[in-house]
Amino acid sequence: MHISFLLHNAYSLGGTIRSTFNLAGELARRHDVEIVSVFRHHDEPTLPAPEGVRLRHLIDLRKNGPGYEGDHPDHLRPAKVFPRGDGRHSQYSRLTDARIGAHLAAIEADVVIGTRPGLNVHIARETRPGVVRVGQEHLTLTGHSYRLRSEIAHSYPQLDAITTVTRADADAYRALRLRGVRVDAVPNSVPTPRVQPASGESKLVVAAGRLTPVKRYDLLVRAFAQVVAVRPDWRLRIHGAGDAFGNERGALRNLIDDLGLYNHVFLMGVAGDLDGEWIKGSLAAVTSSHESFGMTIVEAMRCGLPVVSTDCPQGPREIIDDGVDGRLVESGNVDAVAAGLLELIQDDALRLRMAKAALDSSRRFDPAAIAERHEAVFGELHARGAGDRSAGPLREGLHRARGAALDGAYALRHKAASVLRKGQTA
Amino acid sequence: MTTTAESPDTGSTSAAPRVDCTADSAGGLTFDVVATSDTDATLVLRRHGANPGGEVRLPLTPAAEGLLRAVLPSTVDLAEGLWDVCLSFGTGPGQRLQPGVRDLRALVDREPGPDAERIAVRIPYPVRSGELAVRSWLRRPHAETGTLGFEGPSVTVQGRLYGSEFGPDAAVEARLRGGSGRVHRVAASTGGGGGDFTFTLPYAPLADGLDAKEWLWDLWLLPGSGCPAVRLARILDDVPLKQAIFVYPGTKAGSAVVRPYYTGANDLSVRVDAVRT
Repeated sequence: MHISFLLHNAYSLGGTIRSTFNLAGELARRHDVEIVSVFRHHDEPTLPAPEGVRLRHLIDLRKNGPGYEGDHPDHLRPAKVFPRGDGRHSQYSRLTDARIGAHLAAIEADVVIGTRPGLNVHIARETRPGVVRVGQEHLTLTGHSYRLRSEIAHSYPQLDAITTVTRADADAYRALRLRGVRVDAVPNSVPTPRVQPASGESKLVVAAGRLTPVKRYDLLVRAFAQVVAVRPDWRLRIHGAGDAFGNERGALRNLIDDLGLYNHVFLMGVAGDLDGEWIKGSLAAVTSSHESFGMTIVEAMRCGLPVVSTDCPQGPREIIDDGVDGRLVESGNVDAVAAGLLELIQDDALRLRMAKAALDSSRRFDPAAIAERHEAVFGELHARGAGDRSAGPLREGLHRARGAALDGAYALRHKAASVLRKGQTA
Repeated sequence: MTTTAESPDTGSTSAAPRVDCTADSAGGLTFDVVATSDTDATLVLRRHGANPGGEVRLPLTPAAEGLLRAVLPSTVDLAEGLWDVCLSFGTGPGQRLQPGVRDLRALVDREPGPDAERIAVRIPYPVRSGELAVRSWLRRPHAETGTLGFEGPSVTVQGRLYGSEFGPDAAVEARLRGGSGRVHRVAASTGGGGGDFTFTLPYAPLADGLDAKEWLWDLWLLPGSGCPAVRLARILDDVPLKQAIFVYPGTKAGSAVVRPYYTGANDLSVRVDAVRT
């Protein structure tokens, strides 16, 4: 198959980029794979680009470069096709509308895959007939604004398939009753680390992720105060960059000082190579109030660390088998987090047993295995033929009406607006 | 109309080769480079900075198919400072290397025997530009700091001395930076044996008479057995730059805020900042 990914920005950093690179690299072993990046602001991708995958861009934002298009007049006008409900709307424009539209109208691929809601909407509405249209959801439907959910209900019926990273999110999409749209849950993949797994003998708890309120590191630091009271020989390292907005790092720093934990809890900053940090620990902690998937949980497990995680929606409970390869504790509860950590700190044999189980069970996230699941979805749709999804304006109108009926007045207004826009651009 | 700007960049043809590093608990480092050995490949450690003080060349020998390995044993001296890591074929200056996997788990809680003659620490890490460098410390004797405690306007430091003996009158000196010659001395207690020491440094004398925006006091251990002063430092782990990670609370003393901090070389100092009123 010829498979084409549409990505916001392949040259930046982030979970979606990493996950797309992993998948594209695996698929490229057997298929013709390209990644089309809407934007390009660097010469080279920040993350290592997958081997054997063609990478190109639609809009050049390399400042001081000869092809810079950031000052194109159309790039200064707000996007109309790219939905307003997508948080990246302000970065999109009439220029992106035109370039993405033209790309999808002429695309020479068997399968086209969108990697965020705004791009999935483009794919649903503008892909030329005969191409299988897949929309990936890397976050969660319930986490989106009402506006975006309306836009999704309105446009996604013209997709062939939606893939989510959790079963819970797949259920949420199925509840939208998008007729004829296949919904599959396929988790993110994590490659086998290039380092030997952790020995499990160090007295170090490791956590990793951007320092933002949703990660609830305040909860982890407070819980660790209880750990230190019992086991002053253990320490906690939190890896991750500070938030660009707000000052979570400063707040955590003050909390550490207030609790007198400056000899035990360390804010490590950004880690270039997280695997090299996981293996120094013997236990990992996640205390988020929400995890769309829980990439760091899988990463830690693949490095041989059992994870104590809050049982928050949606990912952790689909990754951790509580009491077998890690612990799920009540979300938002300091005492529960402390008890979970101490249970594994105080019992070396239990910790080592769970570490081994974590190493074994996390193999199911190996990129080859995950790519096979995606490949099966693409292959079945391709074999069936994509014509069904692209039967022309009549079918499109039918889906639009259905989406509108589902989402009521707001979507109706949206539909009216979109018909108007169609009139204008025709 | 062309819809896309075609660009030839296919795959990961990153310019600089990557090198994996593994540290052992004695201070030795192993470097693994993915390359073939058709020419004489050398791993070159080159002293970084304005006055390049030297070069250590380590032969790269085949360790597996397509893998070359160089070893820097703990017994080979690497002067204290920052060393760039380069790959050289033949006699050329070579090219800088990107860090691959760094397995530094053996460094996390290094505990050399208390009678260790000299302390050699080498921590490989990517510098700001992303290229690999090795930060080296070579100290004999060495005074390693551990936990810091705060009770009232003072700091209590626990540490361990390596490579020297305590006399009966061990002390710690805070020496004011800037050539004024001001020194403040407190006794260090060495009861624990095995090189352990602890001292409490009251803040008031450090802040007394503050006539500048800031004063920086460097802390030195005087073992007391005729041994010269030893700079206090924290180097026996895997963290090359302590300053932003090992952070301690500030305490009000007179019209100043006093707090201990680690310098760029991971030496322990105390800063006194004037409080604007």
